[in-house]
Amino acid sequence: MAAWARRRQGDDQLPVTIATRRVYILPTRAGLAFAALAFVMLAAGLNYANSIALLLTFLLAGFGMIAMHLTHRNLVGVNLRAVASIDAFVGEHGRLLLTLDNAADTARIGLDCEVEGSPRAAVDVPARGSARADVSLSLQRRGRLAVDRIKLSTAFPFGLFRAWTYVHLQASLLAWPVPRGRREAPPETASGGSATALHRAGDEEWAGLREFRSGDSPRQVAWGAYARGRGLLVKTYQSPAAHQRTFDFATVPGEVEQRLEQLSAWIVAAHARGERYGLRLAGHSVSPDGGNEHRARCLNGLALHGTPDPW
Amino acid sequence: MVNVAARSHIAATLVFIASVLLLYGKAPAWCLVIALAAATWRLLVVGGRLKAPKTRTGVRFLLGVVTAMLVIAVAISFRTLNGLAAGTALLLVMGALKLVEARLRRDDGIVVGVALFLLLAATLATQSLVNVPLYLLVVWGACAAIAIIADRGGALSPRAALRLSARALAMAIPLAIACFLFFPRFGGQFWAMQRGGQGTTGLSDEMSPGSISKLANEYDPAFRVRFDGDMPPRAALYFRGPVLNAFDGLTWRRERSKYYTGPQLVMLGEPVRYRVTLEPTNQPWLFSLDTLARVPRRDMFMAPHDRQLSASEPVTSTMSYDAVSHLATRAVTSLSDLGRRHETTLPLERNPRARALAMQMRAQSASDAEFARAVLAWFRDNGLEYTLEPGVTTVDSVDTTLFDSKRGFCGHFASSYAMMMRAAGVPAHVVTGYLGGEWNPVGGYLIVRQSDAHAWTEVWLEGSGWTRIDPTAVVAPERLERGIFDLLPDLLPATSSFLHNNAFLFHLEHLWDGANQWWQERVVEFNAHSQLDLLRKFGIDSPDWRHLGWAFAAGLTAWIAWVSLTLRRGVARVKPDRIGRAWLHATRKLARVAPPRTAAEGPMAYARRVGEHRPDLAERISALATRYATLRFGRDASHQDIAAFEREVRNLAV
Repeated sequence: MAAWARRRQGDDQLPVTIATRRVYILPTRAGLAFAALAFVMLAAGLNYANSIALLLTFLLAGFGMIAMHLTHRNLVGVNLRAVASIDAFVGEHGRLLLTLDNAADTARIGLDCEVEGSPRAAVDVPARGSARADVSLSLQRRGRLAVDRIKLSTAFPFGLFRAWTYVHLQASLLAWPVPRGRREAPPETASGGSATALHRAGDEEWAGLREFRSGDSPRQVAWGAYARGRGLLVKTYQSPAAHQRTFDFATVPGEVEQRLEQLSAWIVAAHARGERYGLRLAGHSVSPDGGNEHRARCLNGLALHGTPDPW
Repeated sequence: MVNVAARSHIAATLVFIASVLLLYGKAPAWCLVIALAAATWRLLVVGGRLKAPKTRTGVRFLLGVVTAMLVIAVAISFRTLNGLAAGTALLLVMGALKLVEARLRRDDGIVVGVALFLLLAATLATQSLVNVPLYLLVVWGACAAIAIIADRGGALSPRAALRLSARALAMAIPLAIACFLFFPRFGGQFWAMQRGGQGTTGLSDEMSPGSISKLANEYDPAFRVRFDGDMPPRAALYFRGPVLNAFDGLTWRRERSKYYTGPQLVMLGEPVRYRVTLEPTNQPWLFSLDTLARVPRRDMFMAPHDRQLSASEPVTSTMSYDAVSHLATRAVTSLSDLGRRHETTLPLERNPRARALAMQMRAQSASDAEFARAVLAWFRDNGLEYTLEPGVTTVDSVDTTLFDSKRGFCGHFASSYAMMMRAAGVPAHVVTGYLGGEWNPVGGYLIVRQSDAHAWTEVWLEGSGWTRIDPTAVVAPERLERGIFDLLPDLLPATSSFLHNNAFLFHLEHLWDGANQWWQERVVEFNAHSQLDLLRKFGIDSPDWRHLGWAFAAGLTAWIAWVSLTLRRGVARVKPDRIGRAWLHATRKLARVAPPRTAAEGPMAYARRVGEHRPDLAERISALATRYATLRFGRDASHQDIAAFEREVRNLAV
C-alpha cells in the first residue's frame, strides 16, 4: 500500500497541502462492527417487515457515511509547513517536530502523525491556526535514521473510519553514541587567550555580561542583573590562556563503538563544565570551541563516524 | 482536566440506561432491574463513589458463574433462548454483565452496540408514533457516545459531541427517507421467531354474563376503519367478531367441533369497501361487517359455516387488511341437518322458565319469523332494563335475566334471546363484535373502541338465511345511534370523561389519533407493495424491484453528491491567494523595465532596484511594494484593501 502510494504520488516538497487525491480512507475495527450492527438491524427490519427498525437502520447507515465524509474532511486541506528534527543519544527518543497549518474555519482535531516505527502523536490544529506535532522516535542504532515518509491520519470525529495520507519527504534523525566510558579525559592544553568561557576556573578574569542563549546553565545567569530588570544575562570570564582539550579518536583504545562512546562521554562532560574542547576523528576534525551548536556538531561527527554520510 | 476515559464510560452507560428504559413493559422486570442496577453500579464506580474489584481469577470465576446462572434463569422463564422476548432478556442480562466487567474504551463501544440492539428489540416490540421521538433520542445519544468514546484527546466536550452527531444525523435523514422509500424489500420472512408473552385483550371466543360489560369502560381503540366511499349508516355498523355456537346455560363458547357445511349465499346490494387497522389482541379474531365477499388476505381464514374471519396466527402487532363486505345476503340453500342440530343444541335442565316461555310462544306463532318477532316484542314490553350492573347471575342465567332481575347488558339479552330461539328449535347463535364507533373528522376514519364491544344474535329464518337480530336494540334503542359513553356517561374514567366532554381536547385527541393513524398507514405499514405503488405514481407502468434499485441508486448518488459538496466547502479548497497573484502580475509588468525579481529579493529591495532603472516610477513602485508587504505580512487583510491593491496593480502602466 505504502509503496503503491509512493509510486502514485511521487516525492513531495515542503510545504505540502493535503489534497483530496492523496487521502486514503478505510473503516476501523469499530467501523466494521458498526457496519455489522447496521446489517443485522437491516436483516431484522426486512425479516419482520418492521418499518421503524428499517428507518432507524437507514438513519444509522447514513450517519456512518456522514462519519466517513467528516473524517475525510478533517484531513483534507491540512498544510504541512515544516519538519524539524531533534537528535538524541542511542537508546533515547529523537523527535520530529511537524508544523501543521489549518486555513479552514473549522478546527482539525485529533490529527495523528507518525513515521515508521514511531507511536502516533496526536495534535489538534485550531481553525486558521497552526500547531506542532511532536513525533518521538526511539533510536536503536548509532548513525542516521532516515525518515522518508510521514503518515498523517485521523479517525476524528467518530472513530469509525481512519483517513490517512503519506507525505514523502527526506528527513533524518541522528543517533549519537551513548556517553559511556571511564577513561580519563586527555589533559588540557593552553591556547590563545582571547576566548571566553562561561565557567570560572580560578585564574580567569571577568569578561562582562552577554545575552542568555539557550543551553546556558542557570548557574551562570547574572541573577542580580535580572533582578534589576536588565533581562537574562550571563556572566562570562576570560582566561589569560584559556584551557582547552582535543578529544582524539586515535588515542582512545578499544573497539570502534566503545571509543565513540568514550568520546561522547568526554564531550558531554566537557560541555557540562563549560569547557572548550575539540574533536579529531579519522579524516575529520572539529576545532576547539564551546556551546550547544559545537556540542551538536561534535556528537553528529561521532554519530556519522564510519558511515558514507557527509557530516 | 477532564477525565476523558471516565467521560467515555459515562456516555456509554447513559445510552445503555436509555435503551433499557425503552424496553419498560416489553421485557421481564427482573431483567430490566438487573440491567439498571449494573448501570448504576458502573456510574458509581466511574464517579469514584465505589471501588471496582480487582480483576482476579476469583472475580472472573464468579462472573462466569453469575453469567451461567442468568442465562439459565432466562431459559427457564421463557422455556427457550430462541425468540424475540428471550433474546431481548438475554441481551439485557449480557449488557449488564458487560458493564460490570468493563474496563477499556472498547468495552464502552460494545455497551453502545448492545444499547442499539436493545433499541432494535424495542422497535420490534412496538412501532407506535409516540415512541419514535424516544427512539431518535437514543440513536442521537448513541452517536454522540460513539464520538466521545473515539475522542482520546478530550477535545470534544459532550455538548460538542451532541451537536456534531445531531448534524451528522440531520444530514443522514434524506438518505434514510430515500432508502425507506426505495430500498428493495422482500415479502416474507427469512427466519421466524416466536413472539408473545403478552396478555390477550378485547373479545374472546367465550361470553359469560358480564364479560362484555368488562370491556365497556375500556377507552382503548380496538381497531380503526377507513371507508372507501361513504360510511354505511350507523345502525349497520355491526363488526362481526367471534361467533359463539355452544351454550351451557351460563356461557356461550365457540366450539370448533361444531363445524358443518354452510349454506350458499347470494350477495345483495352494493359492496362496502374498507380498510381495518387492528390493534394487537394476541388472539386470532378479526372483525368485518356482515358478510365478506372474499377472504382479505392469504394468512386469514373464514369459517364457511358462520363466516367467522380469523388470522392464522394471533395478532401480536398492529395489522391492516382491506375488506369488501355485503350488508345483505340471502341463502339459496337450506341449513344442513348437521348445522340445524349444532345450532339448536341446549342443555336440557337449564333455564326452565325461559324454555317453557319459548315453547309456548312458538306454539302460538305461525312461523319461525313470527316467533322471532314475538320474542323481540316480549323483550321490549316486559320492563327489561339496559344496565352495566345487572347484579348476580345464577347457573340459570337466562331465567335470572328475564324473570328475576330484569336487568342486563347486551351480552345478557343476546344470550337470552338466542337461548329462547334454540329452545323452540329455531337455529340461532350469539355473535360478539363491535357496534358503531367514533368518527374522527381529522383523519376521516372511524375509531372503534373496546367500549363499543357488543353482542347480538343471528337467527336462521327459512328463505332469507342467517338474520341479524339485536335484542338490545329493542331494550335500549338509543344504543344503536349513540356510543356507549353518551348512553352511560358514568362509565368513563375521570380523565377520559374530561377529554370526551371538552370540545378542544376532543379535537386534539382526534388530531393525535389521526397522526397515529397516518403513521400506521403510511410509515409502519409501508411495504414492498407500497413501494411499487409509489413507483406507479411516478409513471412507471409495471414496476418491479429493478426499478426500485434504479430509484435507490439515483437517490444514493444524489445524496452522496450533496453531502460531499456540503462538507467539502471551506475545507478542501485552498483559498486563492489574491494578494500573491496581484503581486506576481505587477512583477511581470515590471519585468519589461528591470531584470526580474530574484528568489531571495524582498519586495522593498526589488522596488528600490526597479526605481534605479526608472526613477520616474520609483515612488509609485515603492508605494506598491509597501502595500504588498503590509497586506502580506500584516494582520488580516480586509477584502477592500485587497481589492484596492488589485486595482492599483491593474492601473500600473509601464
